[in-house]
Amino acid sequence: MLREIGYALTAAGLMAASVAYANDNQLELQQNPEFWATQLGNYQGNRFSELDQVNRDNVGELRSVWQFSTGVLRGHEGGPLYVGDGRLYIHTPFPNKVFALDLEDEGRVVWSYEPDQDSRVIPVMCCDTVNRGLAYADGRLFLGQADNTLIALDAESGELLWEVSNGDHTVGETNTMSPLVVHDKVLIGISGGEYGIRGHMTAYDVETGEQVWRGYSTGPDDEVLIDPETTTMLGEPIGEADLGVSTWPEGEWERGGGAPWGWVTYDPELDLIYYGTGNPGTWNPEQRTKDGEPVDNKWAITVFARDPNNGEVKWVYQKVPFDEWDYDGVNENQLIDIEYEGEQRKGLAIIDRTGFGFLLDRETGELLVAEKFAPETNWADDYDMETGRPNVNEQYSTYRQGVDVNTTDICPTAMGAKNMQPTAYSPRTGLIYAGINRICMNYEPFETEYVAGQPYVGATLTMMPAPTQEGDMEGRMGSFIAWDPVAGETVWKIDERFAVWSGALATAGDLAFYGTLEGHVKAVDIETGEELWRFKTPSGIIGNVNTFMHEGKQYLAVLSGVGGWAGIGLAAGLENPEDGLGAVSAFSALGDYTKLGGVLTVFALPD
Amino acid sequence: MTVFARACRSTLPVFVVALLMLGLPPAGLADEQRATDDEQRTTGEAPGAFVVEDGKVDPATYQGYLVYTRVCMACHGPDGLGSSFAPNLVRGAERLGWADFAGTIATGREVQPGQVMPSFADDPYVMGNIPNIYSYLRARGEGGLGRGRPKIIESMQETTEDIEEDNEAAAESADGA
Ligand code: HEC
Repeated sequence: MLREIGYALTAAGLMAASVAYANDNQLELQQNPEFWATQLGNYQGNRFSELDQVNRDNVGELRSVWQFSTGVLRGHEGGPLYVGDGRLYIHTPFPNKVFALDLEDEGRVVWSYEPDQDSRVIPVMCCDTVNRGLAYADGRLFLGQADNTLIALDAESGELLWEVSNGDHTVGETNTMSPLVVHDKVLIGISGGEYGIRGHMTAYDVETGEQVWRGYSTGPDDEVLIDPETTTMLGEPIGEADLGVSTWPEGEWERGGGAPWGWVTYDPELDLIYYGTGNPGTWNPEQRTKDGEPVDNKWAITVFARDPNNGEVKWVYQKVPFDEWDYDGVNENQLIDIEYEGEQRKGLAIIDRTGFGFLLDRETGELLVAEKFAPETNWADDYDMETGRPNVNEQYSTYRQGVDVNTTDICPTAMGAKNMQPTAYSPRTGLIYAGINRICMNYEPFETEYVAGQPYVGATLTMMPAPTQEGDMEGRMGSFIAWDPVAGETVWKIDERFAVWSGALATAGDLAFYGTLEGHVKAVDIETGEELWRFKTPSGIIGNVNTFMHEGKQYLAVLSGVGGWAGIGLAAGLENPEDGLGAVSAFSALGDYTKLGGVLTVFALPD
Repeated sequence: MTVFARACRSTLPVFVVALLMLGLPPAGLADEQRATDDEQRTTGEAPGAFVVEDGKVDPATYQGYLVYTRVCMACHGPDGLGSSFAPNLVRGAERLGWADFAGTIATGREVQPGQVMPSFADDPYVMGNIPNIYSYLRARGEGGLGRGRPKIIESMQETTEDIEEDNEAAAESADGA
């Protein structure tokens, strides 16, 4: 049905349509299954395509039609955009080059753009100089540069239309995220949770780059844009004022992190945006206590539902009050319509850093489901569904164990049971498809002092593979899972040697796609997880597989190029604590499988 | 560690490496010699000494492990082994030698585009601990120390506090500089 609408509207007609809001254009584009107009495929973050030309029966014949080297060595996250003009728009990590490539002419460079950035931004990006990609609306491309400059380019010519500064890298603020266009605004967060920054989400005018609103993650209500009488928490008004100040020791909220650097999703009907905030400043929980007692450190690790027009907060849900593990709460909020206890609900599902799969009501913020998708998860036993708080396991509480004490065998790691790699959701199966990390950690907090522009971490962290569970592949450090968000259960899983750090894609061709850190792109049967096809790209994949149709042909495309936190943590391999002295571990070093280098690979079926 | 530990069990119970050019006595970590050692450490004249005994290390080398893990691991990967972002420092320390090693940390470096080693000149904690980091990395290389968090040799345990004090003193003097 969607397909028919798509066919009825020619690409040219769409481009020329004069619209009141940039996002009307974006919405039209993303409703056309031939296009991949936003990084997550649609506003809801579903990464689902109605295209079925490539399907279960013929995917074995899928082959690479051309490849393009970006010339950049760092980790390549995000993916290409296709908006019907015969070009792919891609980006790179620092120096954040942008390329318009001719899809029909084997990736000929139509134009390229390279910003001029201070290289001192590189060492203040905590985990490689990644960037999660471009946004598009109404003939404009938007890019958040590493140095916090948000730019708008003319998609036709690559000409710079405007630029605006969203932060200051000399105090540790940086950018890795992909902006999102909603109405006539472009939204962008910020990174720097390891530098004691104060996180914020900001809206800029798509035409001029002028700032429209900014909502902070910590601090007084009027700066977070909360009204304690109307903003709700678990369905009830917050009631108390300025929790973003009072749940911190004196002044600590000013360096309280809560950096929203992940994906933003949007519900056009409710007219609300959703995103999560990062860790609360220093990783040493002791320095975030008040009068010697743990406090919530609001609004770090919190899901925010905001009105995109003025930033006002409709509801909040804090996933981890008083973080003790760096469970940075930025993972994307998948907006899914589901049946829950016999009722149709507007759901919001999260495959969270914490190892828990959450389901909330996205109108009210009410918590419906919280179950472990990573079975080794042990920092909390479960969630109290009344209070929405985790029941923390004392043994793994780095605060209870204390400063300068090495709390061991906590699962998952600070990398999270899932990091930034976006999940997919198929409305046909009702399941979420996610690449996950099966890694645990030792965590030792230490006293740290805030110096602007210097790391404000305050914990050392060493990692090891998660203990193997029954039925696990030996030597696995990751899995690709199909998760039932309502039942809170894994339906099938595929174990992988390394953490699965690439985004997932689900299609109406009954396929799910993902990439591995060794560099394979894989297609699996969406019902069973059976592998149907694989292709080895030149380097590990931390980007996302995207799909689109041009002149009647379905393409898939992915950026490979290992890096990111996964590349830093896994390059040398992890030691298996269960190995005896001298034993050869089954857990491999990523460096033995892949090296750096960004390449775009485009796939299609033979003619 | 395993290779070295095996070699070590069949030969000497204690393996001591000190930079010969510094003229440090091999058993130079005995208590009565701490004062001179310490002075040389803080002034950067006696870097690189380490003791590895059965997978355990002297307190200064242990301190080097801690500082490495707190500050350098985020880019250089666990246990000095390098990452997709920054080079292996076990080999790097050996190849560079003390002066270039310390110099790189103080001034930073940017050889390959997109790869930046920051300068730690303004970070007294790191500046005061360069000799300890160097000891740790040499222990990992020449000393055959294995991966992971080493333990401190029991008989040297009591000197841990001295090391902490050294570092504070070093931090203060670097602060003033
Ligand atoms: C922000 C990331 C980052 C941090 C933190 C960092 N380094 Fe580096 N370091 C690098 C990069 C990248 C290079 C390679 C630079 C180049 O060659 O262009 C490097 C190079 C080096 C080199 C030269 C290695 C060789 O083989 O020539 C030394 C020595 C070094 N670092 C020591 C350290 C120490 C010690 C620490 C901790 C106190 C540290 N670094 C912290 C990123 C980092």
